[in-house]
Amino acid sequence: MPSRAFHDEPDLWEGPPEISPYPDRRAGKRLLARDVKTLSKEAENQKIPGYRDLFVIITDKGSAILNPESLEPTHAILDGEFTVDLKGGNSVEAQTVFTELKKSLKDYSLERVASVTDVPARQIERIAVEAATTAPLHIIFGASNYQWYHGDLKGRALALLVVLTGNIGKSGAGISTYAGQYKIRFNLKEWWSPKGGKLNWVPYLYFLNGKGSRYPKNGIKAMVGGWGNPFDQHNMANRLKNMALSGELEFILTTDIQMTTSCQWSDVVLPASTWYEKYDITATPAHPYLQLQQPAIKPMFESRSELWMVRELAKRIDPDFEKHFYPELDENDAALRVIETVLATGGPESEGITLEMLKKGPVRLHSTAPGDRQIPFYEQIHKRVPFPPVSYPAALDATAKFVKSGRIEFYKDEDLFLELGEQLPVHKETFLETEYKLDPDAKEKYRLRFVTRNSLYRVHSTHSNNVWLNELQGDMPKVFLNGDDARERGIGHGDYVEIYNGRGKTKSYAVIDPGARKGTLVFEQGWWARYLNNESYNSLTMPWIKPTHEVYFVPGIWSPNTCWNECLVDVRRAEL
Amino acid sequence: MRRGWVIDLEKCIGCRSCMVACKQHNGQPPGTWWNRVFTPGSRENQVAPEKGKEYFLPVTCQHCANPPCVKVCPVDATYSTEDGTVLIDFERCIGCRYCISACPYGVRQFNWEEPKKTLYKAGYVENYTYGYPKDFRKDGRLVYMPVRFKGITEKCHFCVHYYEEGLEPACVRGCPGGARFTGDLDDPESVVSKLIRDRDGFNLLPEKGTKPSCYYLPPRRKENLSYDF
Amino acid sequence: MAAGIIAWLYQFQEGLIITDLSNPFSWGLYVSGLAFFVGNAAGGLVLSSSIYMFGLTKLKPFAKLGALTAFANVTAAMLIVLPDIGQPLRLWHLIVYPQFRSPLVWDVIVLNMYAILSLAYLYILMLPDLTGKLQKIAIKVKDPLEFSEKWAKRLAPLALVFAASIHIVTAWIFSTQGGREWWFTPALAPDFLAVAVSAGTTIVLMASVLAFGIKDAYKEGYKTMVKIIAAAFFIHLFLMYNDFFIHTWYGAESSAHTLGVLFKDYLAAHAFEVIAPLAAVALLLNGKVRESKAAIIASSSLLLLGVFIHRFLLMPPAFEAIPLTFNPIGLQEIFWSYPVASGRYVEGMDTFVDRWNYFPTWVEMIIFLGVLAYMYFVVALASDYLPVIKKEQEVI
Repeated sequence: MPSRAFHDEPDLWEGPPEISPYPDRRAGKRLLARDVKTLSKEAENQKIPGYRDLFVIITDKGSAILNPESLEPTHAILDGEFTVDLKGGNSVEAQTVFTELKKSLKDYSLERVASVTDVPARQIERIAVEAATTAPLHIIFGASNYQWYHGDLKGRALALLVVLTGNIGKSGAGISTYAGQYKIRFNLKEWWSPKGGKLNWVPYLYFLNGKGSRYPKNGIKAMVGGWGNPFDQHNMANRLKNMALSGELEFILTTDIQMTTSCQWSDVVLPASTWYEKYDITATPAHPYLQLQQPAIKPMFESRSELWMVRELAKRIDPDFEKHFYPELDENDAALRVIETVLATGGPESEGITLEMLKKGPVRLHSTAPGDRQIPFYEQIHKRVPFPPVSYPAALDATAKFVKSGRIEFYKDEDLFLELGEQLPVHKETFLETEYKLDPDAKEKYRLRFVTRNSLYRVHSTHSNNVWLNELQGDMPKVFLNGDDARERGIGHGDYVEIYNGRGKTKSYAVIDPGARKGTLVFEQGWWARYLNNESYNSLTMPWIKPTHEVYFVPGIWSPNTCWNECLVDVRRAEL
Repeated sequence: MRRGWVIDLEKCIGCRSCMVACKQHNGQPPGTWWNRVFTPGSRENQVAPEKGKEYFLPVTCQHCANPPCVKVCPVDATYSTEDGTVLIDFERCIGCRYCISACPYGVRQFNWEEPKKTLYKAGYVENYTYGYPKDFRKDGRLVYMPVRFKGITEKCHFCVHYYEEGLEPACVRGCPGGARFTGDLDDPESVVSKLIRDRDGFNLLPEKGTKPSCYYLPPRRKENLSYDF
Repeated sequence: MAAGIIAWLYQFQEGLIITDLSNPFSWGLYVSGLAFFVGNAAGGLVLSSSIYMFGLTKLKPFAKLGALTAFANVTAAMLIVLPDIGQPLRLWHLIVYPQFRSPLVWDVIVLNMYAILSLAYLYILMLPDLTGKLQKIAIKVKDPLEFSEKWAKRLAPLALVFAASIHIVTAWIFSTQGGREWWFTPALAPDFLAVAVSAGTTIVLMASVLAFGIKDAYKEGYKTMVKIIAAAFFIHLFLMYNDFFIHTWYGAESSAHTLGVLFKDYLAAHAFEVIAPLAAVALLLNGKVRESKAAIIASSSLLLLGVFIHRFLLMPPAFEAIPLTFNPIGLQEIFWSYPVASGRYVEGMDTFVDRWNYFPTWVEMIIFLGVLAYMYFVVALASDYLPVIKKEQEVI
């Protein structure tokens, strides 16, 4: 049993009370609009240094500013229900969000959760005990965890664990997503887009759905791609290929180091040089070092760096555009100049880091934690700087407005969340709002969950054409099936099978995997279409958009989540 | 001095980096692999066997002290060096493949055609090859070359070309799990001897009497499949 | 033969990739051909030498054919192995750098010596008849017939020993290999000998019948040969099945694994290699059958085909049962083969195999038939130009 019953004895709470996991805006029973701007005047008057607006209650009966000292909570500030008197003489019943969370948690008994998840109750209890009593606690999860329709609920639920136990802002504590090697760790404003340029950033999912907020009036006619392989990886429900075939996409240009499926579908392919043939700087979520990519050899065959390509394209679109890309320098020197510029203007993280330093080896970026430690939220916890921290490349105020209280908000005080009953993390059944809604028969016809996991032998779809790595896979795509599911369908190990649903199909060889869960079929994504008879695994998936993912938007950083795993299929034996 | 090595099966994660490192450093064309990693009992690597423990087993030339391959070679092309490494002289081999029949471990690989042709057929640019680019001779015998002749046999040579430079074999350097150790089996205080002694090192197919210089450490602390409070 | 040469040149150019061989199944038709031809060769001189050692005068007419077929088959054996060599231009390494622990080196030595010996034996047997145009190659002796008889008798034991030894040594190529359960048996060398005597004698029988026809003078001789063929074959069956029996009785997994290849995947072939020669023997033992030249030839061919299949079956249980097969830790009931890198990359197929089903390609078969044709050609050519049979006919 936990040695700290923190929910009953708040005096034992070891974290700073200001970051206790509930917004300081005490929620009234019914909330209407929260317009921070209109109340900011009052908030200013009441302002406690470091916080935005606090202790503001808005109800249909009126609004009130509350002074925390004048409140006499019956309990500590974590937990409590109390009556609040408002200006104008009314009073309103209020409870802390923590109280509301506790109430909602009553629905999540060990027995219920064990039965819903198939995880033994003892294991759940053990995880809870360890999370509560072991410090520091760090939760790491991969992208597959949240690539579901309700992926945001999963992330929010996981975050509860670290936040409730005070495991943020401390060395070794926190919650991290291990996904990808792209992370912008300092300010790139000087290079992000040309001055006077006007960027309209539309989420990819909107492109696949043909609509959405900010969608261009005349639609999207041309596709210029790089550093990715969308015709395999984002061809959800086969839409990309269909758009290309119908002529809806009139022009496709791709730049890549290999002739990927996207290249094959392109009207123009610009061969790019690889990592070892040009200059670039890279940062990653996995560690705080900045690294310089340097050319080891000259670009092979006809390949060029993307910088050169874009410069040449730009000047042909408008001769005036060339000036943004250091036209007087060759591509390598231009790249170096860009690197010097971003380092110099990158802000505190890149303060003092020079190109010369990078040429000698990786250089650690600065952080707000002492000794440049990687401790996310350090300032927020220790210096009361409001949440959220900056999410480069966006400016702080672009994302700050998503977290109006300046505190960690596991209670989302937004209309849509309230409407959906998701103001607090809540369990929701998979597929109810997606597959089953789209096709009520899906439950009988497509009885297997389609999970596309990463392969050991590729980085997503990079190296799919590598002969060595393909030999290691028996030179054939595989699908991993639970033994019972396979037997039920007359499928044996090594059989050639077809995976299908109402949207598409693909074929591969079956592997009976004792570790596969019943009802789940796992396919290793990343095979280029030519290895799959041009029937892509993504023809099976669907570009669902969950409305809650559209409430906040910042290009590239806060954007609707792609739900590759939100997919139902079935499988049968196939002819070669 | 008997050069040998130890593979810790507790640390091996079956990632096959050692296979790829060997293939790359030693320029093996498609179809040829000197080093292999598989999951015993299972039909697919890194998929657990239906019953029993999941563990991973890397196998390469065992550099036997009683090597059947050396004894059967009609022209002394494959031979043992002083430290027990079994090498092949690529200029001497006549390609009779007796050694391949003799080896119980299935490690020897034959060049069924010109390696460059195999590469070309697999889609490589014509005449492109990879691997350590220089010939290496030991005592005048050509025991490593970047592109081998057709019709001869090849296999792991314990990275003899790196050994003389004081480097560990490619598979050892390429292993992310730190599962591989080399050293002197005749020295009771060497890392390998101690590991074998303290962790019950064993050989593959001991009953065949080949006396491999490769020892494995049994996987004990793999996943604990049962929790108990 | 020309086709065989062309096929071999093609293979020389492309490499052995045009066979159906692979790293797990590295010896096939060519090496089983070695065993086949060596066996036939051994039988030839066993017969010829037995005539002089054991006084089997009824078989005397066939002695020269025995020596001739021995020579033809042993050279065929050496020929059939040539295409199996990956770097044939380096064959001189065998002469300059022989490694004397290798049974292959022993085999090269004894086969070459046997070729010389069988040729010498043939020469000695022919000496009395080297007249007319052939006088040029005859050595000058006072009494050729007496000389021939004397030396035939003196060389007989040597010939017998050598005849036995070529096949024992060939057997040792296989039976010394502890890594291949199918071969690693003391029964292999004696079994090879038994098959050799049976098959070799059959070839002499065929050659004799073709050369001399069914004449009363030879019928006893043919009957004796058939008895030798039958006895030798029964001994072979005993040696083979005794081996299977003790392994099956003991029931070790590795034996079941090896024998399983024969009895499950090659059952039809195995049935043929046993039943065909048995049927042939039954037919040949029948006096009526022996009245017909065609019947004898047919039955003999049936027996030889059975023997050929037997030789071929040397390979599958040795190579399709992968030696590195074991029980994974703690799993007694699972006997698992560690996949081998095949050495042959084909897009869409797995490089790593735990089983390679070998069947000779057209190139291999044409080369084999080419060598077979060579063997026939040598016998036919010699029979035409040398007094192998002519004089005998005259005597009658």
